[in-house]
Amino acid sequence: MAISPPTYVRAWDNPNDAGGAIRISWHLSADDSIIDGYEILRLAEGEKEYQPIGFIGKGRNCYTDDETKDGLRYQYRVSAVKDTIRSYSEPSNFAQSSAQWFNTDRINVLIFTAIFIFLILWFITQAKRGTRLFVRRIAGLAAVEEAVGRATEMGKPILYVPGLSTVDDVATIAGLNILGEVAKKTAQYDTKLIVPNRDPIVYTVAREVVKEAYTQVGRPDAFNPDSVYFVTDSQFAFAAAVDGIMTRENPATNFFMGYFWAESLIMAETGASTGAIQIAGTDAVMQLPFFITACDYTLIGEELYAASAYLSREPLLLGALKGQDFGKAIIIGVLLLTTLLALLLNLPVLNLF
Amino acid sequence: MKFFEKLMKIDRRIIYLILALVVIVPFLRPFMIHPKAMPPVENLYNYIDSIPPDKALVISVDYTPDTEPELQPMTIALLRHAFARRIKVGVLTLGVLGLGLAENALTQVANEFNQRATTREDSIIYGRDYVFWGWQTPALTVILGMGERISRVFSVDYYGNKTETLPMMQKIKNYNNVGIVVSVSASATPLWYITYGQTSFGIKVGIASTAVQAADMYPYLNSGQATGLLSGMKGGAEYEELVQTRLGITGRRRATEAMAAQTSAHFTIIAFIIIGNIGFFALRRRKK
Amino acid sequence: MKRRIPLLIVFVFGVLGAIPFLIPHRIIQDADNEFRSSVLRIIVAFSLVLGVGSIIRHHYEKIRRKRENWQYSYVTLISLVISAIIGLFGGIEANGILPTRFVFPFTNYTFRFDIQTLYTNIMVPLGATMFSLLAFFMTSAAYRAFRARNIEATILLFSAFVVMLAAVPLVSSIFPKLSFFSEWILTVPNTAAKRGLGFGIALGSMATSLKIILGIERGWLGGTG
Repeated sequence: MAISPPTYVRAWDNPNDAGGAIRISWHLSADDSIIDGYEILRLAEGEKEYQPIGFIGKGRNCYTDDETKDGLRYQYRVSAVKDTIRSYSEPSNFAQSSAQWFNTDRINVLIFTAIFIFLILWFITQAKRGTRLFVRRIAGLAAVEEAVGRATEMGKPILYVPGLSTVDDVATIAGLNILGEVAKKTAQYDTKLIVPNRDPIVYTVAREVVKEAYTQVGRPDAFNPDSVYFVTDSQFAFAAAVDGIMTRENPATNFFMGYFWAESLIMAETGASTGAIQIAGTDAVMQLPFFITACDYTLIGEELYAASAYLSREPLLLGALKGQDFGKAIIIGVLLLTTLLALLLNLPVLNLF
Repeated sequence: MKFFEKLMKIDRRIIYLILALVVIVPFLRPFMIHPKAMPPVENLYNYIDSIPPDKALVISVDYTPDTEPELQPMTIALLRHAFARRIKVGVLTLGVLGLGLAENALTQVANEFNQRATTREDSIIYGRDYVFWGWQTPALTVILGMGERISRVFSVDYYGNKTETLPMMQKIKNYNNVGIVVSVSASATPLWYITYGQTSFGIKVGIASTAVQAADMYPYLNSGQATGLLSGMKGGAEYEELVQTRLGITGRRRATEAMAAQTSAHFTIIAFIIIGNIGFFALRRRKK
Repeated sequence: MKRRIPLLIVFVFGVLGAIPFLIPHRIIQDADNEFRSSVLRIIVAFSLVLGVGSIIRHHYEKIRRKRENWQYSYVTLISLVISAIIGLFGGIEANGILPTRFVFPFTNYTFRFDIQTLYTNIMVPLGATMFSLLAFFMTSAAYRAFRARNIEATILLFSAFVVMLAAVPLVSSIFPKLSFFSEWILTVPNTAAKRGLGFGIALGSMATSLKIILGIERGWLGGTG
């Protein structure tokens, strides 16, 4: 029984990689439906015989040989295989692998990033020149002052949880920025601040943030180093610890600012049961419904990132925020345009394109 | 009107007690429910079913003991499916707490099959049919490194064997030899596989997640980046149903057993919401 | 200088971290892999030392000053020391230099206290217990918050009913269309909202990361500005 071989075997350097790989493609055998698959054979320059390097199933017409040496030329044949029957293709062209210095598939990302950076720097320049930049009211952040004041009047502490993620998470950085502002207020009003941490590095950063905030308002003596501490890196053990703090210390105000997982509702609902005012902010979209249900104010997604600009009103930060908003406007514009084009393309009546 | 005020302010402890009862009682007096598989579950099942013999199923056990009741049944169902179809399986974890859970699942399912096996061919043999690579960190290094060479990321497996010496690893070298990676997780770990693994190497990704996390995964399912999705206990029960009805593989179905309790718990929550709203509307009408 | 060096480190490594995304060449990829697989791991390992030091200091101070519930600090510190000793010297499966199993004489019963046993019998049930609290808290939160106060709240309430009922196999087998409606809610309006939020968060992350790399955002250094 004879089977048709695959045809038109081509080989070329695998694009956009670190080298060491060649892509091979071919046209399927006419008997593709009855064969077992395709065996790929390789001949390195200087060798005399083809060596089998791989086998793939029927219906597939490409393969990546990722064990090549850069600079050495290779030639390939592909054989259709059915039991012990083999039918070989003609040899391919010679190809050699090499590493690329730029991934051309990602050029669109580079262009948009460049536009985005330009927008941010442009608005920062505008801000430095004194242009007034409007930022809409964010209820959760406007309530920070009121929340701290409430705790001071009641003589109760403030609990601040800077999220459960690591310091390389943007939400954690945003949470630490807000912690600085809250710490300045607690320093001024002499309110007790409790900051339990789940991550050891976040703990060290949070400690420095609070200490620096107290120093900035002229109250370095009031800083209590034991107010910021590491609890545990176990997620639910941390949640249990925070619940314990809430029920024992009975804070008047709870802040949950950062990245959270499933423990969010455990902490927020316990806080709600103690009667504390609660302000939460997270970019963990999945936890937002729990915070919205259990907390008085919630910062949604990028409102958390805008917090440092909003609270400090620093021109540089406001300018960056504006640039970010314009970047979003560009994306919205592109989405609307492409949606419209897709709609027009699919309208048979109009038949415009 | 005091009655309606009380309706709006039922003591938390009463709510917790009633919920505890409606969850416990179905476990004592169970009733079996056979869920019909929804498209995201069926898509994942069909894709795994069609993995060719030269490729492996990789299961990334990325959950911790707290979510074990919801996610472990999914891992077990996936393993039963793969072993029944003689698909090679590679298992890893991206979090150290998943190691014990992954090993428990592998041991349990391998034993189930080996108790029924009559020949060596029928048996599930470590190294030949499945490998437990273990845990490495950081996760990004693992996900990207497996695209180059799995044995470089996991030079030894969980049991201390050199991975390159294992029979299965002679053919399963990197993502090119992987049919699909199914990340069983209660967090955003499946998205790391999509963002880094799929973007760099084009791997297929399946997601098995808790019901709460699943809402976050639907955008990736719709865009085709995720091949299928098992969502929560119900998703696990649906997959168990498919494995049993289509392959005839029997075994304890923990997710399906929990459906009775889930049913009564959901009805209870809905009842409480309705009660609260009745009180709310009655009082609002009175104030008008 | 105290602020300039960290800012310079952040700038250099921020840029170096972004470059491998665009440059696939082996030199760049190998350097990036080396950094992630070696350097970062060492930093993470040392950070645990800081964390343990913080716990010890915090609870030691609590004991020394006899603050409220100071007795529980002894529990914490003793547990920390015991599990560290067992983990370091007892081996994973009772195969270390420290004996972690005791066989009762005249019985077959072995009492094991190796780290795997501690994990399986203490960590696992404790973690599952904490997670199971979510069911109760969700019930009380839903009861308290899901009130049809206005149109938006009513739509939320209706959607919650549909999704909860569809998650029940009994109901979805009687009303199969309910499952598809629930899927529609999750795949269309829920996905649309999440995508919008996702775009905003992605851009916000990008902007915040850029601000940190360029040294505009310095809150993480300690203090603001």
